[in-house]
This record gives sequence, structure tokens and C-alpha cells, in this order.
Amino acid sequence: MRSEDDLELNAFVDGELSPDQQAELLEAMRNDPDLARQACELGQLKAQLRLAYADPPEPQRQGVAKVGASWQAIAAGFLLLAVGLVSGWSLHANAPGLGIEGNRFVVLDPEGRGQAPAVAADEETRIVFHLTNPDQTAAGELLDEVEAMLAAYQADGRALRVEVVSHSEGLDLLRDRLSRHKERIHDLAGQFSNLTFVACQNTINRLKVERGIEVKLLPDAEVIDSGVNHVVKRQKEGWSYIRV
Amino acid sequence: MKTLMSMVLAGLVGLTAWTGAVIAAPEYTKQQVVYHINGDNPKQQAGALRNIQNHINAVGAENLDLRVVMHGNGVSLVLLPEALPQVPKFKHANADEQMQAKIDGLKDQGVAFKVCANTLNGRKVNREDQLYNVDNGDVVPSGVAELAHLQAQGFTYIKP
Repeated sequence: MRSEDDLELNAFVDGELSPDQQAELLEAMRNDPDLARQACELGQLKAQLRLAYADPPEPQRQGVAKVGASWQAIAAGFLLLAVGLVSGWSLHANAPGLGIEGNRFVVLDPEGRGQAPAVAADEETRIVFHLTNPDQTAAGELLDEVEAMLAAYQADGRALRVEVVSHSEGLDLLRDRLSRHKERIHDLAGQFSNLTFVACQNTINRLKVERGIEVKLLPDAEVIDSGVNHVVKRQKEGWSYIRV
Repeated sequence: MKTLMSMVLAGLVGLTAWTGAVIAAPEYTKQQVVYHINGDNPKQQAGALRNIQNHINAVGAENLDLRVVMHGNGVSLVLLPEALPQVPKFKHANADEQMQAKIDGLKDQGVAFKVCANTLNGRKVNREDQLYNVDNGDVVPSGVAELAHLQAQGFTYIKP
């Protein structure tokens, strides 16, 4: 890989590219599974790093032990990092479809949503909602439920991650032209960084091939190659699954 | 001091593991299953109850911890038909005599029916007067959270 590509990929994962540059890179990823895999790996690595440093060990406050304590903290940091890297790598190695033969890719938005670390912190509740139903009244009720839950967990300081995977006719919720909950989705996505809306690329492709529709998604939607694969993967990772 | 702390901590961990093992052991062979109902089509709901009966027939009631979680439109399963005019947010009230008999039959075999409090509050449903045989213990704060919680406990999720 050329070093400009490397820089661009890093900037992409960090969410520093302009929408146009992002779109261009996404298009390139669609045609180049290898590139998509690299982006995915880079995203995972960064997520692992954040995870490792998210909860630094408390420094001891016992005067004499000051130097020792900071060394302990650094050592603990490295240990966490090592655990993160090793478990991340082994998960990666075991995950079907993530290898070279697969063309899985995860699109990351500027806020970094969609790059859920596969290794959850203890006690974190993780729920994937699988939306295949075109009924947007029901989808609205889902958003009510999700919002109530996110607010309750936030108020209690409990960790929660929620993904709404829309797929097949459920994709309407995330389509710019058809969604009846555009503003709501935008507000929720802005308010809760632990909420991700995911659209299925297979559905988007099918709409184009079968009905000539160029799908335009809401700006807050992530794209995943296969919605079905994704919900299966999440369940294997220990997420709770709820079909809407 | 540090040694004492770590001993206490190790003791606590040990105790938790021990009590966990003691409580969990008798449940070990039981299948834990949660059925999710959030649609209001009476035929689909009756079909779901039939699925559950078949499930019990196959596995045996004594080997099952089976729960039904209803939220949103799914609460219509236990909504009494005479209450329908008072709850405009529901299109169906399916707890007629036939459905009641099915629900009772399953309850007799140990099936628990759980109703979402968010739905009851949001749609202004009076649990005592408008629902069929739902007592306080059958109401969970959030149907969705309950589904997630049960799965985290090892329950298998089925959406009929």
C-alpha cells in the first residue's frame, strides 16, 4: 500500500475526511476487498486502543511509592493493551468473512460509531435490533423503546450499546426519501454515541439492480455488506438479539 | 493492608462463585426460552401460543423455563375486547374466551407471561381492569430490556 493511501485510510477511520473524500474511498473499498479489510482492521485496532486506555488504573497516593505507582500504571496500561490486541487479533482470526476471502467492511462515520469493539467491557449490555419490517409506526415505537432504554442506562451510569440493523423492507427507515423519522434518528444519533444505525449493502444493491433505485441513506446510517451476516456475528459475540 | 484487601477480595470472588454454583446447579438441565410477541394479529398470536404448546410437548414442561414477553402491539394478546374502545392506541384486543383458555393452559404448564410497563403507561392501559389476568409481578419495566436481560442470562430468543 502506498503511504498516501495509508494516511488517507487513517484519516478515514478517524473521521477526518470530507464527505466527498469519504464517498470516494467507500467506492474504492467496494471494489477492493483488501482495502476494505485494511480499513476494518485499522478501525478495530483503534477501538481496541481506546478500550485499553478508556479506564486507566487509579494512581496510588502513598507518597514514597509515587514512582513505582506510575510504573505500575504504565505496566497495567501495556498489559491491557496487550490483552486487547491479542484478543482482538484472535477474534479477527476466528471471525468468518473477515479474512482475505471475505469482502466484509464496516463503514465508520466521523464520530466513530459503528466500530464496536468485539470485546465488551464487563457488564455492558449490547443489543442488536433487526428491522426487516416496512411498518414505520412500529419503527417509531422501536425508537421510543431504544431512547427510553438509552436514557435509563445513561442516568444509572450503566454501559449499553445499541445497533439498529435495517435490512430488506426495514431499510425504508434509513432512506432519505422514505424515512418518516429522519429528524428523530439524527437527534438520537447525535445524543447517544452508543447508538448506531446500520443499513444493509445487499439490500441497497438489490434495489438498484431489481428496481433501478439509487438509495440515498440518512447521514447517520452506517453501511454493512450483509445485514443478516452482521446480526449473526453480533449474536456470536454475545449481543442480545431482538427482531423488530 | 494491601494483602488484607486482596484476601477479602479473593474471598468475595470465591463466595460469589460458590453461591452462583449452588443456585445455578439445579437449573442446569432446563431449557431457557423467551418468546417475543410485539404484533397484534390474532391469528399470529394464536399461532405463537400453539408453537409454545408444541415446544412444551417436545421438551416437557419440567425441562423448560419458558417466558413470553409482550410489548407494543403485542400487549393486545392479553387486552380484553371490552376494553378496546377505551384504549385508542390499540387496534386489536385479542383476549377473548378462546385466547384466555389458551393462555391459562400454558400458565398451568409453567409459562410466564410478561407485559411491558412502558407500553401500559404509554398507551394508558389499566392493568387491573383492561388486561386478562396480569398481576403486578407480570409487569416488567421495559419489554425490550427484559428480552436483552433474559438473553444475557442464557435464554434462547424466539420470535414466532
